[in-house]
Amino acid sequence: MKMHKLRRLMSVPLTQIILFAALMTALQLLSMAGLIPNSFTYAIGSTLIYAIVAIGFCLLLGYSGLASLGTAGFIGVGAYAAYYVMESFGMPYIAALAVTLAISVAIGVAVGFISLRVEGLYLAILTLGLSEILRNLLMAVQATIKIDISNARLFGVQLNDSGAYMLVLVTFSLLVWLTSNLIDSPTGRAMLAMKNSTSAAQAMGVSLMKHRLLAFVISTVFAAIGGLLYMMYVRVMTTSVSTLLTMTTSLNILGAVIIGGAKSLWGTTLGAFIVYGIQSMFLSKIPFFQKNPAFITMLTGLLIVVVVMFFPGGLTQFLSGIKAKLQRSFRKVREDIYGKDLG
Amino acid sequence: MTLPFALMMLLGQLVNMCVTALAAFAVTMVFRTSTTTNFAQGSVAALGCYYTAELFGKYGVPVYLGLIAGMLVGVLCGLFIDIVIFRNGKSVNPVGKQIITMGLVSIIFGGIPLRFGNPERVPFESLYRGKEAANIIVDFAGGKLVVSRHALICLGVTVAVLAALFLLLKFSKWGLAVRATASNEFTAELMGINSHAITAISWALACALGVLAAVMYAGNGTAITASFMTTIQVNAFLACILGGFSTFYGPVVGAVCIPLVSTLVSFLQYLPIEGAAAISRWNMVIVYVLLMIVILIKPQGLLGKPVAKKV
Amino acid sequence: MARIWDKLRPSGSGKLLRLSQEYDRLRRELEDLEAEAEARPAEPQRNKTGADRLQRYDARAYMAKRAANHAAAKAIFRAVREGGSFDEALRTQEKKLARIEDKRRAFAARLERGGAERKPAPAKQKPSAERVKRTAAEKAALEKKLAALETRIARAKGSGHSRISLPDDVALRVRGLKMYFGGLKAVDDLSFDVKKGEIFGLIGPNGAGKTTVFNCITRFYNATGGDMHFSGRGGEAVDLRDFRVHDVILHGIVRTFQNVEVIREVTVLENLLIAGHRGYGSSLVAQALHLPVLKKEERLMRERALRVLEFMGLTEYKDWYAFGLPYGVLKRIEIARTLMCDPRLIILDEPAAGLNDTETAELAQLIRRINKEYDCTILLVEHDMGLVMDICDTVCAISFGKLLAIGTTEQVQADRNVQTAYLGASEEA
Repeated sequence: MKMHKLRRLMSVPLTQIILFAALMTALQLLSMAGLIPNSFTYAIGSTLIYAIVAIGFCLLLGYSGLASLGTAGFIGVGAYAAYYVMESFGMPYIAALAVTLAISVAIGVAVGFISLRVEGLYLAILTLGLSEILRNLLMAVQATIKIDISNARLFGVQLNDSGAYMLVLVTFSLLVWLTSNLIDSPTGRAMLAMKNSTSAAQAMGVSLMKHRLLAFVISTVFAAIGGLLYMMYVRVMTTSVSTLLTMTTSLNILGAVIIGGAKSLWGTTLGAFIVYGIQSMFLSKIPFFQKNPAFITMLTGLLIVVVVMFFPGGLTQFLSGIKAKLQRSFRKVREDIYGKDLG
Repeated sequence: MTLPFALMMLLGQLVNMCVTALAAFAVTMVFRTSTTTNFAQGSVAALGCYYTAELFGKYGVPVYLGLIAGMLVGVLCGLFIDIVIFRNGKSVNPVGKQIITMGLVSIIFGGIPLRFGNPERVPFESLYRGKEAANIIVDFAGGKLVVSRHALICLGVTVAVLAALFLLLKFSKWGLAVRATASNEFTAELMGINSHAITAISWALACALGVLAAVMYAGNGTAITASFMTTIQVNAFLACILGGFSTFYGPVVGAVCIPLVSTLVSFLQYLPIEGAAAISRWNMVIVYVLLMIVILIKPQGLLGKPVAKKV
Repeated sequence: MARIWDKLRPSGSGKLLRLSQEYDRLRRELEDLEAEAEARPAEPQRNKTGADRLQRYDARAYMAKRAANHAAAKAIFRAVREGGSFDEALRTQEKKLARIEDKRRAFAARLERGGAERKPAPAKQKPSAERVKRTAAEKAALEKKLAALETRIARAKGSGHSRISLPDDVALRVRGLKMYFGGLKAVDDLSFDVKKGEIFGLIGPNGAGKTTVFNCITRFYNATGGDMHFSGRGGEAVDLRDFRVHDVILHGIVRTFQNVEVIREVTVLENLLIAGHRGYGSSLVAQALHLPVLKKEERLMRERALRVLEFMGLTEYKDWYAFGLPYGVLKRIEIARTLMCDPRLIILDEPAAGLNDTETAELAQLIRRINKEYDCTILLVEHDMGLVMDICDTVCAISFGKLLAIGTTEQVQADRNVQTAYLGASEEA
């Protein structure tokens, strides 16, 4: 009876989010106590930033069925907004957030309008072009951006590494909660309808324009927030050299969503940990890989290929498959021991 | 700005145009037969180019033989992707295929330094040295016109290759099979076309063309790195939607347009306006914005045909 | 630029529609509330019946028996491994099982004895009474709002100067409808009236342009020319050309598709909730935060969907994913979806295609029931002449986009043009 209640409680997204946040906070506390290396939690933090971007993208791809390769450019917008507002004008984080939101909503609306005219792969490549525009534009404006730690303030408090980590974690939890709510609401269902059949969705009164715009706005805002948090967390980016604003990032985010299972938020988070986290959290600690960093890149690539080849539904499908298999074999063992009628 | 100078700047983009055209054709080939985009196109091309460069630089093999070897590497990569990876995967959809090619990008990026050691090299510097002059100089319209020999060779090769491919597509049995598969794979199979073979050949051909493009690009003096084809690849994708995926020649036209427009935009910096010099910094931004406007006006591409939707 | 503006502008003739829509929504909420109040108190009572308690006790007894068996099996294993007899283990097990059985019998007896006097359970009834009171309050508030809306609607009607007028009994009037695709005249100068509450059949040979007519009415196609007037919500005649494709549903025009377009990625119940999309009033913020407003709306909508499913005989499929369901069920889901949108005109595109004879007969029954119980007009395209002649009040035959004949089934059947179009001109046909 109690087991049953616990299981029901665990199936509520809010409980899951709180548990996840608690676990991550515990890791941070452990690292502050010196029990686990700082670089480990640092890697978690940066992976969570990518996870935020990926979750916004999950809503776009998995629920609205729109493919975009412009993610990298949108991240850049957030990063540059953070730099200009906080470093050049010396304003606090909240102001940077407001500016980021305003700009990214505007861009999201623009791309949403484009998506009404251009669809499918054409849209993906067009957004790739848009991302290149943004990257070239930002690079022409300023090649290197850097935020001094004294300017990274939230409510007047200067954020050090662990402070920024908590900021990332809180933002992540909040956004996951909002997204999971939205998915389980008329809007989320309307988006799914739109993905499956535009004509049926329209006949049911779903406005394609409204929901496409919304999907793009959300994914753009999430990406820009990712860029903003990146500047709070890493505090420096050399745009001309860094791959953060190139096609690679857009593809990696897409990969994270596909690997995780396009319709699951936790799956997407897991995907982000595989694409970004594994190499920075574990592989870079192993001496062999430290000597040959090329192997890390190869291994990540191999992992992506294998996962997509054999689990087209993503890791969520893989894990639920394992769960079902385990349950089946448990039942079998029990039946073998005690007889069928008890199972 | 004189006319010969303008013409020279346009001719300077010749290699760029040829390379983008070949890459765009390769992208279209893959897209039409397996409805996916090959993001590993550039990386496979770079890999083949590394082999060519090694044969040429280290063992002194003539460049055309090295090129053939490099293209063979490309063919093997293409066949590997289609036959080993895609066909053994479980019901991989087009987006999944894209992700797989993206994973391959990572593998090749990691693999190239392991195989070839130092990550960057300039391979073809000795290609034109010592033999004939690297440039051909012509008197033209009261000025001197300098054209690089390499550009002319590239133009010749590209035109020959593309012309041969278009003729094959139009008139050969293989071409008919490709066009049938491109228009509807299922129906093509029902009509007795081995669409698996067609797809595999398309991948092989696309990757080989990529290597050819990469070698041409590197011959122009560009340093070879694992990612040196990325810009070309992005341009090729954009060229494809600019020209329209629905025809085979559209993307080639698009590929010629992009460097052309980029040069025309860069002419703006010679305008006698204050601050015009700064335009060169915004060159690519302006080109991409123009491109985007064109696509918004004609979503199916410059030469594409609109597709009617049935409810 | 003009096009973008066109997309942004809210379509339709604003105020009256908005008021009537709100009115219908509140009405429905009132209905839902009433249905809920009826259903609610029944539940706790059923939980309290003796059989139910015994069943629950049985489940517990079963668990206890299982535990006893486990313990016995363990003891036997131990006995086998360490050497010794397992008679004792078996005896303990038997004893335990007997005790459980005794207890269960005692419980059943007690239930039987005490059942009669404990049945009313007044203490537990109280919250439901409170609930009834609260429902009554909610109902009163809703009724008040409705009354206010009624006067506002009446005023809006009075002040509104509609430029078009329809006779009272006409639901949809199509005049001179033209739809050209390049040189192809798919629909050419077609006119007909659909009367309120009737079942109207549109027939014609393949390629006659029937579906095109539907697509024009539901705004999937932008007609080349002609007028389509509909007696809209709130009783005012509206020009359908003022509406965008996702807005015609506001006036209660819903359609099904020839090639069934059920959302396969979600459950059947969620398919119906999607159809109720325009019935939600909560804002995006309420949705993102899952505010109580949304939760209440969700609850009501879910119950409404369950009622529709029951009406359609689909209750058993409610939690199934639409992917892989049989064709006949998918067709019924499509029709069920139309019932979620406060329909006033349901447009069915070949509802009987792909169904066998029994299913078609059931469908005919169903369409009649929908027509009566939901009080809506039905417009259908169909190839199955049996079905059309069976259920339609008026039939309109078209060929190559032109009107052949219109009238009752007998009139159309007797029409020479129709016979020629279907059977060819030769004498022996």
